[in-house]
Amino acid sequence: MLQYVNVDIDGAIIRAIKGTSVLDTAIEYGICIPHLCHVPYLSDIGACRLCIVEHVKNGRSEITTSCTLNVEEGMVIMTNTDKIRKLRRNLAELLVAQAPNSRAIQDIAVRCGVKEVRYPFRNDDCVLCGRCVRVCTEIWKARAIGFVGRGKDRRVDYPFGVRPEFCKQCGSCIQLCPMTITPCDGPMKPGEERLCGNCESQLIIADETPGSCVWCELGEGFACGRYA
Amino acid sequence: MSRLNSYRELEHLCKRLCEERQNITTTVMACDGPGCQASESRAVIAAIRNELSQQGLDGTVRLRATGCHGFCEQGPIVVIEPGNIFYCHVAPDDAFEIVYQTVAKGEVIERLLYTDPVSGEKARTESEIPFYSRQDQQLLSLNRLVDPCSIEDYIAAGGYSTLARVLDRVAPDEIIREIKASGLRGRGGGGFPTGRKWAECREAPGDEKYVICNADEGDPGAYMDRGVLEGNPHLVLEGMMIGAWAVGARKGYIYVRNEYPLAVTHSRIAVEQMRELGLLGDNILGTSFSFDVDIARGGGAFVCGESTALMASLEGGVGEPRPKDVHTVVDGLYHKPTTLNNVETWANVPAIIQNGSAWFASKGTKGSKGTKILALTGRIKNTGLVEVAMGTPISTVVFDIGGGALNGNPIKAVQIGGPSGGCLPVSKFDLPVDFDVLYEIGSMVGSGGMVVMDEESCMVDVAKYFLAFLQDESCGKCVPCRLGIDRMLEIITDITEGRGTLKQLDLLEELAETVAETALCGLGKTAPNPVLSTLRYFRPEYEAHIKDKKCLAGVCKALITYSIDPEKCNGCGVCIRECVHGAITGEKKQTHVIDDGLCQKCGICQSECKFDAIRVV
Repeated sequence: MLQYVNVDIDGAIIRAIKGTSVLDTAIEYGICIPHLCHVPYLSDIGACRLCIVEHVKNGRSEITTSCTLNVEEGMVIMTNTDKIRKLRRNLAELLVAQAPNSRAIQDIAVRCGVKEVRYPFRNDDCVLCGRCVRVCTEIWKARAIGFVGRGKDRRVDYPFGVRPEFCKQCGSCIQLCPMTITPCDGPMKPGEERLCGNCESQLIIADETPGSCVWCELGEGFACGRYA
Repeated sequence: MSRLNSYRELEHLCKRLCEERQNITTTVMACDGPGCQASESRAVIAAIRNELSQQGLDGTVRLRATGCHGFCEQGPIVVIEPGNIFYCHVAPDDAFEIVYQTVAKGEVIERLLYTDPVSGEKARTESEIPFYSRQDQQLLSLNRLVDPCSIEDYIAAGGYSTLARVLDRVAPDEIIREIKASGLRGRGGGGFPTGRKWAECREAPGDEKYVICNADEGDPGAYMDRGVLEGNPHLVLEGMMIGAWAVGARKGYIYVRNEYPLAVTHSRIAVEQMRELGLLGDNILGTSFSFDVDIARGGGAFVCGESTALMASLEGGVGEPRPKDVHTVVDGLYHKPTTLNNVETWANVPAIIQNGSAWFASKGTKGSKGTKILALTGRIKNTGLVEVAMGTPISTVVFDIGGGALNGNPIKAVQIGGPSGGCLPVSKFDLPVDFDVLYEIGSMVGSGGMVVMDEESCMVDVAKYFLAFLQDESCGKCVPCRLGIDRMLEIITDITEGRGTLKQLDLLEELAETVAETALCGLGKTAPNPVLSTLRYFRPEYEAHIKDKKCLAGVCKALITYSIDPEKCNGCGVCIRECVHGAITGEKKQTHVIDDGLCQKCGICQSECKFDAIRVV
């Protein structure tokens, strides 16, 4: 039998299923917390850090990722404070500067309030969210791709760089990759990268309701959990 | 030696060993720690051993190759008991004199004594040397009493008697109460109360629990844990066993980096010896307590010093941290409750149980008790391992123990706590070495690295060095650490190369705060400390780099030029000969000139010039 706990998310007292994460619970109840590496049916690793929330405990607030935080009785969570919005914006800015050629990341950046990118663009594509690695490992139990290297040299690759036989080319990794949809104007050439934000006036909506979730058909195949 | 089956048998063995040693009149304690080994202590020890047997003294004189004594700068160090005569910078050629004069006749060799650099006086014993007399050596002083490869030494010095007493008649809860009362806090960096950690682990559900000793010390310039584990592995193991008894663990691991070969060897030998004596294994000392320890070698990744990354590495996975929303005391190694403590923390445990929590709590400050080992390095006279009571002012460590500035350059800052710590200016030197005080002013005790910097160090360059280190050592799992540190390094490189703007400085600060708040693990969260602390206390230096395009310390190559002072240059031609880039020209006896276009700013000319004619502007 399911057990329930009561948690306070942004002032709303929510009856949440014990054992679920704060992120899942919040999305279930229509409180959108931006996220990138989280996929509902995969394990959470807390890599992109976009889903950070303030967890208020004994009067002190602690910043942690909501995807890795499980609900507990009496928990107080704030998902949309000034501090969180600012940190989230800075994280999204780092991401979009790294991979401007992903519509998903461009959208996330705009939704998190990024208005200008203060770093030189890099056009590296992969942001190491690990969706591909986890779907291959956890759903297909194939382990055909994995993380290789450390720190700056970390990348996703086949074992020893060669596609193994047990990769059945199922394409799950591609389906989940945030890089598969390019911005509307097509891929940006090196040196011409920018924050696009011209699709369906995302920027205008973002301006009016800062940090709020906007309807995002744009990210199809990458829709946020609410519409998945 | 045969297996010990009870408390009384251990006592008996201790008594027998002490009796056997009664006919030893003189003990030569030669430091064989990492610092002294680098200055050839092995050859010194071999030479002394050879001399002892040649002069027929090996029956009554004990030569003991010990762990680190602390004063690494003066190594190799040899201390002779009785008299506690302290010799430094000993060479293999001195062996004959030491044995013939000091060991056999008790005469002191003036030449080998330590000379105080200020007063010029010779010091006979350690207590006369300010470096030692201002310290409070509780753990390091034990190093010289034992040969790290000899369990007999450790037992003869009273070792394992605390463990035996604990197993015989102290309940686990009582131990946890003692540790809690002592106020011991984790020595690895975080400063988490050890007693609370143990209590949580004990209360955690599950029969299978683990204890881990974290000896994966990777801070640049720090080697406290190395000094303790290499010098006295049995002390650490005894602490671990008391901890295991308290939390209810049956299995322990020492995770030691492979770059510490001596620590690996010594702890392996120690574990073997303990198994032989039945101090590890089933039914230790005839009690119901069973415990075993394995030595796991780390590959040297800095991030594996983080507890969850260390556990992942122990499990055979990639050393990457995982979120700690559930603490490791509940969900640790193999998802079992695990108590992980640093080498120094474990080493403190036996003395606390033996002498009582009140004894330990009598040292230190309100929030930080006991002593802390610091690795004192940098631009000061005396470098080495230093152990002081918590609450000792930084100035005492730097000026009294460290002997003050090298070369007379005024000291500018001290970097405490390694890559996770911060740089503190001289104006903060009155503050004590204390977990909470240092945390509040933007640094941390950390594992205890202490690098002293003088006017020749550029604080922007220091921050850049640490960022480069951290970028290299970041595991790359989470965005703020991987990309954030990378971008911080990008900005700071711009600043040191003269491309920085004031706007970038604000961005740097904002980014540093973002990384500190959002990174996944403790290492990422503390990674911006070098940047934040230098920005906080040395902002004018950053601004000088940006606005005036000047590096006041003369370190950042893109912002300095070398020039020759025509008044001092007498045209000797040394610099022309030494310059590998052919950037210096000039006739003999004429003032030489440096071509800025060719100059690579290596500084060779400056160090070669005998007339001090080459300046950095």
